[in-house]
Amino acid sequence: MKATTIFLLAAFTAAAPAAAHHSFAPFDRSKEVTLTGAVKEFQWTNPHAWIQIMVKDDQGRETEWDIECAPANMMARTGWNKSTIKPGDAVVATVNPMRDGRSSGALVTITLPDGTVLGPGDAPKPLPIR
Amino acid sequence: MQRMSALPVRTTLVFLACVALAGCDSPSRTTPVAAAATPAATLTTRDFTGVWIAIGTFDDPAGPPPWSQTLWPSNPPFTEWGAAESRRLSEPQGFTPCSPTGPVFAMWELGLFPIQILESPGQLVIIRETGGMPRRIYTDGREHPPPEELEPTWMGHSIGRWQGDVFVVDTVGTNGRARAMNGVGANVQVSVDDAKPRLPTSAELHLVERWRLVADGQLFEDELTISDPKTYTEPIIVKHYFQRRPDIDMLEFSCADTPRPADETIAEQ
Repeated sequence: MKATTIFLLAAFTAAAPAAAHHSFAPFDRSKEVTLTGAVKEFQWTNPHAWIQIMVKDDQGRETEWDIECAPANMMARTGWNKSTIKPGDAVVATVNPMRDGRSSGALVTITLPDGTVLGPGDAPKPLPIR
Repeated sequence: MQRMSALPVRTTLVFLACVALAGCDSPSRTTPVAAAATPAATLTTRDFTGVWIAIGTFDDPAGPPPWSQTLWPSNPPFTEWGAAESRRLSEPQGFTPCSPTGPVFAMWELGLFPIQILESPGQLVIIRETGGMPRRIYTDGREHPPPEELEPTWMGHSIGRWQGDVFVVDTVGTNGRARAMNGVGANVQVSVDDAKPRLPTSAELHLVERWRLVADGQLFEDELTISDPKTYTEPIIVKHYFQRRPDIDMLEFSCADTPRPADETIAEQ
């Protein structure tokens, strides 16, 4: 797992300076919401991939969360592929939620059924210059 | 230009051969073939064919010295029009999802996406992974069309000439509709260098670049002199560095695969 998973979505991780990634964009970078649920769909697409997760509340009511990831190309270079998650997978996702209260967010990390933790995608790490 | 016109034929053949062999970017593979007709010293300083990605990261957009990218100016020398256009591009309604970028952005791509340079007789083509228009630089000795015949385009009209070991690229004829030079979207901030005014360009853009291979060909340096009297009172000069990445394959990228309303996305490409 990468130490810093940063991309257009500007995920906050322990190694990323939080103040560096703020914007007027619709997701609130100062908040994180943890979602536990089952994957409904995964759109492995550019310019951004999206995941829908069904999350149950305490009363058992289900809410569909719509989660934005990086471009699929950037995800492909950081450990993802089209089969990384499948409908029905039990996952835990941390997201920066939308400011307007909709059930949507920008992915920060996602924990897969096998315990693998992935970020939202990133640029390729530079090679060492000899 | 005579050297230039002779060299790419072989470079192209090498490239095609390497495609079949899976992996064409190593200088050690290209040099022996091309060296048959061209002095090795010339080749190693002139072979741009390959996949490249700009160095620097979100948290360190300049990258480590001595190959640090020049960061964008915090107080750009805007004209009145330039300042107003910058403000317009900073508003969500000033940004059209999936709209093309211009030649300056193409020579950076935020370090997120690679570019591929293919040299062929008479022209050098830059393919950008994020799609849109390729950048085509004519090396056959032609000049720019006269102004009355110059078609405004997203990437402009580019001609390239060698000056010693420096490849000088001159670009005019952009349409002035491209996104800001320093950002993918209106308010999107993808790096610590992004909390700066959006930098527009107009159709008066005159871009002069000086390309040269550095670090034994592992990097190429692009010094961009950005003159745009409608937008800026003086030229902006920056250096961008790309790293040769034979380990990266270019991928397909369609900007419209997941159309979403602009207000539901952070940064549609």
